Amino acid sequence: MDVDLQRREARQALDRAVRDGQAGEVVRQALALLGCGKASDTMVCASAFAKAAGSLVEQGGCRRLKTYVVRSVTVEPLMPFLAVEAVLNGYVLETELGGYGSYIEEMLDPGSSLGRARADLVLVLVDLEDVCGQLPGLCADGRGGGVEAEIEETVARLGQMLRGYRSAHTGRIVLQGFLTPVVSSLGAVGDANLPYSLGNAVRELNRRLAELCRSVPDCAFFDVDQVAAGFGRAAWRDQRMFLASRLPVAAPAFGVYARALMRTASVLFRAPRKVLCTDLDNTLWGGILGEDGPHGIVTGSAFPGNSYLEYQQYLKHLAARGILLAAVSKNNAADVEEAFRLRSADLALGLEDFAARKIGWGEKAGALRELAAELSLGLDAFVFVDDNPVECEAVRQHLPEVAVVEAPAAEPWRLVGMLAGEWFFDTATVTADDVNRSREYKAQAERAALGSSAANREEFLESLGIVCTFLSATEAPLARSVQLLAKTNQFNLTTRRHSASEVERFAAEPGGLAVAVRVRDRFGDAGVVGLALARQEGDACVIDSLLLSCRVIGRGIETALLALVAAEAAKMGSRWLVGEYIETKKNAPCAGFYPEHGFERETAAEGSALYRLDLTARMPAAPPWLTLEGHPSHEFAAGSVVAS
Amino acid sequence: MSSQLVPSSLRDLIADTLEISPDEVTPELSGEQVESWDSFRHLQLMLSIEGEYGVQFDPQQIPELTTVARVQAALEKKGARL
Repeated sequence: MDVDLQRREARQALDRAVRDGQAGEVVRQALALLGCGKASDTMVCASAFAKAAGSLVEQGGCRRLKTYVVRSVTVEPLMPFLAVEAVLNGYVLETELGGYGSYIEEMLDPGSSLGRARADLVLVLVDLEDVCGQLPGLCADGRGGGVEAEIEETVARLGQMLRGYRSAHTGRIVLQGFLTPVVSSLGAVGDANLPYSLGNAVRELNRRLAELCRSVPDCAFFDVDQVAAGFGRAAWRDQRMFLASRLPVAAPAFGVYARALMRTASVLFRAPRKVLCTDLDNTLWGGILGEDGPHGIVTGSAFPGNSYLEYQQYLKHLAARGILLAAVSKNNAADVEEAFRLRSADLALGLEDFAARKIGWGEKAGALRELAAELSLGLDAFVFVDDNPVECEAVRQHLPEVAVVEAPAAEPWRLVGMLAGEWFFDTATVTADDVNRSREYKAQAERAALGSSAANREEFLESLGIVCTFLSATEAPLARSVQLLAKTNQFNLTTRRHSASEVERFAAEPGGLAVAVRVRDRFGDAGVVGLALARQEGDACVIDSLLLSCRVIGRGIETALLALVAAEAAKMGSRWLVGEYIETKKNAPCAGFYPEHGFERETAAEGSALYRLDLTARMPAAPPWLTLEGHPSHEFAAGSVVAS
Repeated sequence: MSSQLVPSSLRDLIADTLEISPDEVTPELSGEQVESWDSFRHLQLMLSIEGEYGVQFDPQQIPELTTVARVQAALEKKGARL
């Protein structure tokens, strides 16, 4: 079919879907239209998405983000591209643009249009010459008089701006870095070799800004220079349009720019996937083990075996930051064990690097379901990599929550690049708990083995030697508390995805409570796995959030957490402890939590219920098999005294 | 005058960018008649046209291309195949 006809049909279908308010169909037809490769169709899609915004949020599961753009350049022509990328990744942006010259006062003045916007997302897109205009002049001789001081001052100024905003607002922030110059009066050779060339100064500035972003809660650095390099620096900016209209990006790069910006922003709103399930034959190694034998499979330092080796190394690096690996393969288990043993010198991974294995002859969708149950994780935390298109399609159809990557069997060198291009493992923070995770899952398996030998539940739990350490949620560390709020689905009573500053608010305000719990036992340290946020309202203490990582559910830790909140509430003078359950697709495991602890149902609406407990009549107590440590309470008591 | 006088590729591009019907795109259509044709949309339109026909306008000329006929004439002068 010729492209124009295809476009016409996709556009008609798109219009129809918008008219009928069919969110899924709107996205499908937009993808079909965008697939025709015509840049101006992006505007058609942006306008269709704007008309369908309501249904995209209500049926399409898109999250609405009030977005404020702080800028010193012309971003208007980029906005349709950003809006389209946003919807394709699950967000509907309601965008407001700031003034060209007013970015500092917008960030610092609570009464400014940004202050009033109550934004969920703030994009700070400013150009080098508006923030650090002296730098090119200072770098002209490449020798550095005043360059460091100028960088220092710029970082301090932007730091003051970001912290000023953060002290008053919870909107999550993306700070865009600066572009290294394409041309330099020092010439390319001088720019590379002289210590204080503009190129080197901008790279240093970007490095310092990324560091700054790490120190501000809910803030991510957008490395636009890296994106420009990937696109081709020379074509990234159209100098004619930059000088004439302050357009920072050339029109052909709009899509790439918008996608990269949205990719950075999305780490502030969602958690990465947690498990990568890989096929073995023609994916982890070349060839088919059952036919080629352990010595016939292709892997190792020579081509094409090194393509597979590279993939194995990539998986090993993912595991190092806490992504669990699982092997899912149609093979005989004994053959696979033998292959890993005989070919260990040619493999970057050993069987011990896999937290779980499903080797057998069953359907892969079924294997993934079993893995989800064994690892106590939702299928939406899974990524499935397989070279067989039929297996991939079956997983897509039966388990739409799973992200599927079809390994290119004929071009194995492409697989690592394909994986890196996906957003699902993106994160701006890695905590000590992430790094520890693979080990913890192995301990889980050992615990399960012990569980089946212990006579009864209490005896079993006693034998685990569980120790709960309570600490302030701001010291969990804070990034871990926010990560728990973002990621925990099953044992999460209200599923409120609070930001870091909201957690800090619970910890700091009088009558507020923000406590985390760290759990270890004789098999290992599970790290910080639970969180409770509460605040006093009159004679009641209201639990805003209470959650526990699914890895430690069912050992009484949830009761210990509740008991701690109850004790703190009583100490603050609350008579009532109020709990809320908001139903989601996934949190059925905690639906009975409050009634089981003696709470009475107070009100119930569709999908949510309020419970309360009279603390003068009954105090929840931690189960006897737990050892409790830590006294987060001083801090809260002190906080309330100071504030009152 | 009728929209038939505007080459269809240009007519569709202008209609898409300004979010109006292709039938409205007549040679004499100007920025004053179309509410959505503000300065940013104008910039967007120029970028789309440059991309579509592989031409570059002089930025000083861009603010003057405020009617469909002028846009078409500028393109023809650049040797664009409409």
